[in-house]
Formats: sequence, C-alpha cells, structure tokens
Amino acid sequence: MDKEMSVLHRIIQSANMRQKVIASNIANADTPGYKAKDVAFGNILENKIKMTTTDAGHVKGQNKNGISAEITVNNDPSWGDRNNVLLNSEMAKMTENSLSHDAAVKLLNSKIRMFRSAIRTK
Amino acid sequence: MDIFNVSASALEAQRMRMNTVASNMANAQSTKTEAGGPYVKKEVAFSSMQINPGKSDGLVGVKVDGVVADRKPPLIIYDPGHPDADENGNVSMPNINVMEEMVNMMMALRAYEANVKAFNMSKGMYQKALEIGR
Repeated sequence: MDKEMSVLHRIIQSANMRQKVIASNIANADTPGYKAKDVAFGNILENKIKMTTTDAGHVKGQNKNGISAEITVNNDPSWGDRNNVLLNSEMAKMTENSLSHDAAVKLLNSKIRMFRSAIRTK
Repeated sequence: MDIFNVSASALEAQRMRMNTVASNMANAQSTKTEAGGPYVKKEVAFSSMQINPGKSDGLVGVKVDGVVADRKPPLIIYDPGHPDADENGNVSMPNINVMEEMVNMMMALRAYEANVKAFNMSKGMYQKALEIGR
C-alpha cells in the first residue's frame, strides 16, 4: 500500500525469524556441540532501503519477496561441551527482539488507524 | 507455530534431566537394585534436532538421546554391619556426589525457566500480531 507499511511488514517478519533462532538457542543451551546462531537482518534491511535510491533512473523496486535473512553461526570459544550459547545474552536479545516487534506492530496499527480516519472524513 | 515445538522440546528435555537428577539423589544410598549391585548414577544425553528436516528455517529443537549410566566405579566403604557387606566387610555404594546433583538440578531449573520465558515471549508476539488492524 505504501512504503512505510512494507518496511514495517519486513521488520515484523525479521523479528519473527529472529525469535525462532533465539528460541532455538535457548532450547539448545545444554546440547553438546551446538553453536549459537543469529540472524543478520539489520544489514539486509539497510541494503534493501539503499537499493531503491542508487540511481534516479532506476525503477523503485518494491521488494516484496519477504526476508531473505541469513542465519549466521557464532564461532566464539566455548566451554568443554563445545556449546557456546550464553543464556543471559540470548534472553537479552529475545527481550530486545520482542520489543522491536511490538514497536513495529504499534506503528502499523497507528498507520492503519490513520488510513481509517482518512477514509471516514467527509 | 513451529516455534512452540522448539521450546516444548526443550521443556521436555529439561524435565527429563530433572527426573534423572531426582532419581540420583533419591538413590544416593541404594546398595541393591533389581539389576544387582549398587545403584548407578544416570545422566541424560541431549542432541539438537531440526524441527522441519531439510528446511533451513532456523528452528532447532532438543532431543533426549537417552538416559546413560555413569561409568565411574562404585565407592567401596568399610561397614561390616551393613546387610550388603561382602565377607571382608566392604560395601559398594553408588558413586553419587549430592552437591554435583544439586548443581545439575539448579541448572535444569534455570534452563526450564528460560524456555518457559521464551515460550511466553513467542506467544506474546503472536498475540500482538493478531491485534494488527483492530
């Protein structure tokens, strides 16, 4: 519908994906050999926004094929069981992720409210 | 909604770990078992598993590979009055360190709590998403 809405949609999608990865990390905090993972989604979002403004002659791409975020594996040193999940930092990441998701939902809701009041105005 | 399976698999695994710890602590003095000999300390072995095999969606749950017996030999103590003492007065006791079990129990509890929290946060996110446009 408009650009901000598709950006918000993307943020919500990214947050969903990141939540999956963080939940998997927390679930595997005691699994020998498991390596912590994360999603490189901040950069991808940036790239996509930049991509639309490289040249005035370019067709402004509405990249609607969702998030092609990449899951990265953390190779930090680990304890004896070759598992490098840090439970505290995963909890912090999860809280942060949930807040950014809620913020995007809130913004999307106010956007929809604005459209709604614009439709209603005579 | 597969994300709930991730947290649920971990809750299941940690509960299993808690069960083995409880059994170890309860049997820290058991000198006789159905299999014969003193009780042998048990431990759970975890491994990670793809929730949707073949899909790289980042959903990795936990699987309990099995309950394995500890390989440490039993503790031999001298107690001639014990009903299970051999002819030299030695008794084979389970090789269980209660302190170690307590630590293991606390770790299982914390991991369980972390997964409950993750479960609730995922639920909260889905609930918020359902409110879009209301």
